Amino acid sequence: MSRVSRIKAEATAAWHAFVRRRTAVFFTFFFPVILVFIFGVLVRTDPTGGGVFAEPPGYYVAGYIAVVVLFTPLSRVGSEVARHRDGNRFEKLATTPLSRAEWLFAQTLVNVVVIGLASLLILGLVVLATDATFVASPLIVPYVALGVALFCGFGALLGRLSDSQDGVIAASNGVAIPLLFLSETFVTPNLLPAWFVPLMQLSPLTYFARGLRAATYGSATGTASAGQAGIVGADPFLNLAVLAVLAVAFFIAGAYALPRTD
Amino acid sequence: MVVNAENVSRRYGETVALSDVSFSVSAGEIFAIIGPNGAGKTTLIRALTGTTDADGEVSVFGRPPTEVARGRIGLLPQEFTPADRLTARELVTYYAGLYDDARDPDAVLEDVGLTDSEGTFYEDLSGGQKRRVCVGTALVNEPELLILDEPTTGIDPTGRRELWDLIEGLADGGTTILLTTHYMAEAETLADRVALLSGGELVALDSPDELIARHGGDSRLVIEADDEARVGETLAAAGYERLPDERHVAVPAGPKEIPAIVEALEHNDVGYEGLVWRQPSLEEVYVALTGTDVSVGGQA
Repeated sequence: MSRVSRIKAEATAAWHAFVRRRTAVFFTFFFPVILVFIFGVLVRTDPTGGGVFAEPPGYYVAGYIAVVVLFTPLSRVGSEVARHRDGNRFEKLATTPLSRAEWLFAQTLVNVVVIGLASLLILGLVVLATDATFVASPLIVPYVALGVALFCGFGALLGRLSDSQDGVIAASNGVAIPLLFLSETFVTPNLLPAWFVPLMQLSPLTYFARGLRAATYGSATGTASAGQAGIVGADPFLNLAVLAVLAVAFFIAGAYALPRTD
Repeated sequence: MVVNAENVSRRYGETVALSDVSFSVSAGEIFAIIGPNGAGKTTLIRALTGTTDADGEVSVFGRPPTEVARGRIGLLPQEFTPADRLTARELVTYYAGLYDDARDPDAVLEDVGLTDSEGTFYEDLSGGQKRRVCVGTALVNEPELLILDEPTTGIDPTGRRELWDLIEGLADGGTTILLTTHYMAEAETLADRVALLSGGELVALDSPDELIARHGGDSRLVIEADDEARVGETLAAAGYERLPDERHVAVPAGPKEIPAIVEALEHNDVGYEGLVWRQPSLEEVYVALTGTDVSVGGQA
């Protein structure tokens, strides 16, 4: 019970701290809006053509959600770690009963709620503003939750390694942008050199995008072939299982990396 | 014994932050650690709270710091800054929520005198109110040992005196308090015992009165003048040798010697703008033992 109380206290404080930073709130939700508007409404897909955005609109729904699952926790948790370091807050928390894992779990809960809302916004906009069709699979919930947990852990690692909030932002962009375009989100594997495709298995976001797409869209069009897609293929449950294992690993690494003082 | 430190040492690469520091703090005591910037005060606090790895032996309530029940210690770290868009009440409630047996946030807010400002965001509070909120976050668990790392740095004299009253009240209630400070008056006013750190070493440890008696030197008359060289020469001729380490001319003098000194200056037609008679304080002890002017490096 006391652990629940501590996590609740931390999550409540983190939630209030977030919702009162109006700029952060605005851009957290403006980001998916502008994303869907640019790619879904202005650029639009061209299933009969070649190059990027050559898949049907539904193919890219997983990519839109991947953007917020990747960027928001990475930068938010990284920045929060930097803020805590600047204010010597971890030094104080080290003398309270709150453990590092509980702190990160509370931050993850807040991010799951924020990104869950952003994902709903994306799905709503996709329905309203594009021709995309997708399956409202219940697997969307665990995919978003596990993806957020994974990148919260990753964000904590970046926060530990960076020495300032500016450093966190630069590092999170440096990590997120390559991951975003090389993880079966918007750029299909058949647009990449054959030698590179196996390397996509190294990106955790690949399992998120591929599995979520399999759950919400179903078509294998544009995805890696069975041989290219590693041992889990495009099965939504197998990709979810890999994502879960990676989420646990990154969460543990992130919690362990949270600084105490020195 | 609440705190016991024996031969505590800490190095950062080639830099020695602490070197064989030993002391103990008794229950109910106010123990102050003073010293110049870089003396090792904060490193010592971190060694006592288990947030840095140091050589030597440290025990708090008879146990290694990391094994002490968290509810027994309250910490205000140096330059602690909580979330700026939480209110005073939310911050106190947040930290109280981390403990099983926390105090009522209303009582904590009342203790730190913030009942009227409880709904104000931290970023909108005055400097003194901010520090009082921070102290409040260290009081939520009703700690037996309260550790305050420079609690009054950056706040105005009124706010500082309010915090002094709060600290004295806590000590009267039986809380053991260990604090670091740059302000000699703070240590002299509050502390039962003072440890002076310099270059990572414990240079002196005793009650303020004992330290002053042993290292503070004589009472002195400080004379401020446009031509202080001439003041010094005149008083030297009258048998008053100038004391070192003073910004103006200072000579050892008891209260009864003041008229003779003034007479010597006026007889020689030497002008002056101010006379201040001062008993030795911790400031003189600090200067004598560290060779550092208290006013250098941001100390008041």
